[in-house]
Amino acid sequence: MKKDFEIISMLAWRNVWRNKRRTILTLCTIVVGCAMIILLNAFAKGGHDQMIEDATGLVMGHIHIHEKGYWENKTIDYAFEADESIEKALSSNTHIRAYCKRIMCDALIAKGGTTKGVMIQGVEPVREKQVCGLYKCIIKGRYLSDSDSTHAVIGATLAQNLKVDVGNTIAIISQGFDGSIAAEHLTIAGIFKSGNPEYDKFLLQMPLKQADETFSMMGYIHAYVIKASRIDNIDAITSSLSKKLPNNVEVLGWEKLMPELVQFIIMDDVSGYLFDLMLFLVVAFGILNTIQMSVYERTRELGIMKAVGTTPGQIVALVILETFFITVIGVLLGVALGAGISYYFTVHPIDYSQYSEEIAVWGITTTIFPATVTIANTVVTAVLTMIVSLLFCIFPARRASKLHPVEAIRHI
Amino acid sequence: MEIIQVVNCTKDYHSDGQIVHALRGVHLSLHKGEFAAIAGPSGSGKTTLLNCIGGLDYSTQGNVYIEGTDISKLSPKELSRLRLFKIGFIFQAYNLIPVLTALENVEYILLLQGMGDSNRKRKAAEVLELVGLKDEMHRLPHELSGGQQQRVAIARAIVSSPAIVLADEPTANVDQKTGSALLDLMEHLNKEKQITFLFSTHDPMVMKRAHRLINIIDGMIVKDTLVKRKNK
Repeated sequence: MKKDFEIISMLAWRNVWRNKRRTILTLCTIVVGCAMIILLNAFAKGGHDQMIEDATGLVMGHIHIHEKGYWENKTIDYAFEADESIEKALSSNTHIRAYCKRIMCDALIAKGGTTKGVMIQGVEPVREKQVCGLYKCIIKGRYLSDSDSTHAVIGATLAQNLKVDVGNTIAIISQGFDGSIAAEHLTIAGIFKSGNPEYDKFLLQMPLKQADETFSMMGYIHAYVIKASRIDNIDAITSSLSKKLPNNVEVLGWEKLMPELVQFIIMDDVSGYLFDLMLFLVVAFGILNTIQMSVYERTRELGIMKAVGTTPGQIVALVILETFFITVIGVLLGVALGAGISYYFTVHPIDYSQYSEEIAVWGITTTIFPATVTIANTVVTAVLTMIVSLLFCIFPARRASKLHPVEAIRHI
Repeated sequence: MEIIQVVNCTKDYHSDGQIVHALRGVHLSLHKGEFAAIAGPSGSGKTTLLNCIGGLDYSTQGNVYIEGTDISKLSPKELSRLRLFKIGFIFQAYNLIPVLTALENVEYILLLQGMGDSNRKRKAAEVLELVGLKDEMHRLPHELSGGQQQRVAIARAIVSSPAIVLADEPTANVDQKTGSALLDLMEHLNKEKQITFLFSTHDPMVMKRAHRLINIIDGMIVKDTLVKRKNK
């Protein structure tokens, strides 16, 4: 058995290099196909990560802790006490980069004779800046600080609609946590432009302490907002916290907070997989063509080999090993090329920021498109290319093994 | 001892809806150490008979026995084993594996038989020396002349000391001088190693050198003559 393998593998290796030009062309098909699949998947993964980061990075955060039912109803009544056990669980989790508390409710905002509906977020300014990046979007004035009280930052569209500017005072009115009327005058400290039309039109942030007082929260909050050290850690954090936290709260990852983004990523993945499938088929048919031609050209030789005692199984093994050798070389080169180019785009992402205004017209706020090459991407691509190639060589291998020696020897 | 026994062997082919009777009830026996030739015109059935004896083709009816084994009852894999261990083949031309050197072509049979490295290389080299290719053993087939390639094929056919060597028109693609030298070599091996040789040929030189001449016409043996040769 060992000797069989020795001779068959030696023959297969030499046969691979018998027609160098054809082998190199086939290798090019595999290398380019493999590299393209890895690169496209890396861009898809990088693009999705960036979209998630952009979508969660400004205001949403990666993970929320709410009282059960808050996210479905989004009313002021679903608040919980921010006790020490929750803080302890959050600070001891090494996958969490930062977290902050929020009070969230809807309100009416008025200036002069104009009234608008807004989403109010009471935030801890310093900790909020560690979790979300809205402070970077201030275009006028400044972001909130811990020493602020009756101050607020609002979106640029909202400011425009209310015809207010930095330093102006606005009135908010809503329902308090205890059922009372909550009303306050707030001074506009800053105006932000996030690029997200919803935030720019409806969002107002004010200090958490003031929000606690204005809405009579009595120390209760609506959310802990968490930033994970890496997007890939979100599931681990969610499941770990779910086990440790009290029963009245729920831990929701960004996928549950933004199901429409999940839907988009799934749709994008499906079209990506279809493209991958096409590339796999191109590679597979390239291999099939080469092996088919190689077997056809060697019909007489294979007939002689059978005549002198080579078994059908050894002929199948020969053809499969030839495919295996070509594919392994192609896959190794393809993985190196694909991972190399992907790494370049990881370090030097495609930057469309100079076209950000044109892109924003389409409602897209992502302007940086990095590639993220993962071990899973390269391993899955390599393994699938091997499997598809070996599956496609079975047909010519079986045909070769079934050659009738007499007819094969007559073949010219 | 009968090494080959063909009993009432018929072989029919279907060609363009017609049945072609390539062999019609052939009876033939060969003993160990014979140096025989099947002669006949093109299409007479001599190669078909050789193929049936070598297990490369199944007969339509009748039986072929190699050292008492009825090969018409063997599976393709069993036939492969039989050809590997009992029969050596020499074809007209282009019958070497192009990517293997002369030595490796000869070794190939021994490798398939599972022989160990040192024995295999020594034995293959000895046989190549015997056929006069000591200095060419590391050359690839395309670097050898037609006659040298046939010598390698002979070396490959006899390296495992098979019971029979079947040679299908071995001199057809070489000049007369080379053909004569090849026949000298095979006759020598027949005498020295008692290997049974059976040729199919229409080369008069081969017919002249054979110790037994079997004439076949239209798939039937019409004459079977033992020829007394003077020892060289």
